[in-house]
Amino acid sequence: MIIVKDLKRYYGTGDMTVKALKGVSFEINKGEFVAIMGASGSGKTTLLRILALLDDATDGEYTIRGLEVSSLPEAERSYYRLTQVGYVFQDYALINEMSAAENVYILSMMEGKSKKESYTTALEALAKVGLEGKHDRIPDELSGGEKQRVAIARAIAKKPDILFADEPCANLDTVNSKQVLDVFKELNEKYGQTIVMVTHELWHTDYVHRVITFQDGSILSDEKKTKGQ
Amino acid sequence: MINDIRVGALIAYCSVKRGNKKTLIFIVFVLSLIFLNLVFLPSMIGGLSGLFTGFMRDYPYGDIVIEPTGDNTYINNADLVLKKVRAVEGVRAATKRLDAGASINHKQKVVGATITGLLPTEEYDISRYPYIINEGDFLGELSRDEIIIGAMIAGTGFGAEIYDNLGEVRPGALVDVTYSNGVKRTYKVKGIMTGSIEVVDLNALVNYKEIEDVYGLEGKEATSIVVRVNKEGTEAQIQDKIREAGVNEEIFTWADKSEALIKQAMQSMGAIDIMSKIVSLIVGAALVLIIIYINVLNRKKEIGILKAVGITPRSIVLSYAFLSTFYVCLGISAGLILYLSLMLYFQMNPVTFYETMEISPTIDPMLLIQSIATMLTLSVIAGILPAWSVSKESILKAIWGR
Repeated sequence: MIIVKDLKRYYGTGDMTVKALKGVSFEINKGEFVAIMGASGSGKTTLLRILALLDDATDGEYTIRGLEVSSLPEAERSYYRLTQVGYVFQDYALINEMSAAENVYILSMMEGKSKKESYTTALEALAKVGLEGKHDRIPDELSGGEKQRVAIARAIAKKPDILFADEPCANLDTVNSKQVLDVFKELNEKYGQTIVMVTHELWHTDYVHRVITFQDGSILSDEKKTKGQ
Repeated sequence: MINDIRVGALIAYCSVKRGNKKTLIFIVFVLSLIFLNLVFLPSMIGGLSGLFTGFMRDYPYGDIVIEPTGDNTYINNADLVLKKVRAVEGVRAATKRLDAGASINHKQKVVGATITGLLPTEEYDISRYPYIINEGDFLGELSRDEIIIGAMIAGTGFGAEIYDNLGEVRPGALVDVTYSNGVKRTYKVKGIMTGSIEVVDLNALVNYKEIEDVYGLEGKEATSIVVRVNKEGTEAQIQDKIREAGVNEEIFTWADKSEALIKQAMQSMGAIDIMSKIVSLIVGAALVLIIIYINVLNRKKEIGILKAVGITPRSIVLSYAFLSTFYVCLGISAGLILYLSLMLYFQMNPVTFYETMEISPTIDPMLLIQSIATMLTLSVIAGILPAWSVSKESILKAIWGR
């Protein structure tokens, strides 16, 4: 589903060049739940942003379902972000002046659905993450875990091929983190959602099929997990 | 595009609905002052212009004035012209006048003036002369040895310190008048007129027959024929009809005359008006831009997030266009309320100008429409420019500043 070949990301020029990604290659299959781990500065977030088309690679190839997406023009990248990819930010990245439902259904409206249809889709997505009855609340009226679940609802409402999550539990306590990870697990198991999650918590890997570990911009290890491991 | 508009409208709606109300009130207040600044001074100048125009219509020119052609001093067939004019549909009244230059002497004080010979009873339908006699009475049909003197000449009104005058002449006093052809007459002052403008208060009035007699005319001449129409705004049509009726003299509407006469007087005010409008527009544009720009900068992260989740830059730009248009619409509404309140106040308490003239600002619908259109155009530009600039930034820079 995702094929990454020799992906590089450099910042700056000359002696000041920082090599965030030094040419990484891997493949992710449909329906996989993958954790990307590594120390701070190892390149995991940089990779995720490139995969979600929020940033550009300096070099290398990146295809999703056979489509070379890294070289798409901005208008198509925007459409791709809207329809094919869901992205969950570490700090939720909700629009504070929008209710939970509005934060979710704005994307359906962007896709051309009617307001009524978008609203129904948003309520379904919010229900899927356990936020029934909280659709009218604005982010300030929600707990950290609830905010992150709204962000997940926003990401999954459009039924994307792949869901990217950048340290989704970084600002959450254990209870809320478990709630969020349970949602991911359910999405993966029940709906076959492909999920790529950046994390630095080891216990999060209990939820995933595979762990790719980064070190200094390169892949240190790529391990598939078996049940109970 | 429809989706962009819908999403842009939703973003703008949420921003207004749940945004900071104090900020909204402040923005609307500032915008209302910008609008007020655009319309208030022109309204005052419009009031001043209207006042002068009113004077011109009420005294020397009426709605339409007919004057001799070329170098001729008189309209030689004035009665025939009058007959043709009065027969034109839409003409309410018309009269003939004879103007003459003269000096007026009273107790060794001499002043130069234009003396207008008029038909007193006809003037009641033509001008305000009969109604501005503040001492004594207006001329009668048979008045021959009587004169009405403007307050500035008489020295009884405003301007006595500025202009030469006869030293507080009162009704009943005798004055000697020497006409431009050397003929001397003595008149009893019948009344003092106060028109609050020099074209009236520096003049004098006598019976038409008196000027005719002094200059040896034959009862058919006039220096002008002054016409009033039934319906305001029909002057130009009636001007054409008078021409079609066979009047070959020079025919002017009050607007033609005012344009030439008031132009000069209003030039300075007009320059101030234009400068004020330009400055207001520049200040207004800058303020609207600054307000929206600060607003956009505060929402830079939000713009990045919206882009990151797939909202098109066009939707984002449109949302700010809608938002700034909404702010400006509220600003215009508040500005209109302020403006109309001020108009009401100044209608009831006119500004006194030149000690005698009371200026009430005029509400010019065209000016209001122009100012509203200008503000709305500015708002769209001011909303689009900064949002467009931020929406072009990379997502990472917008969200995380790098």
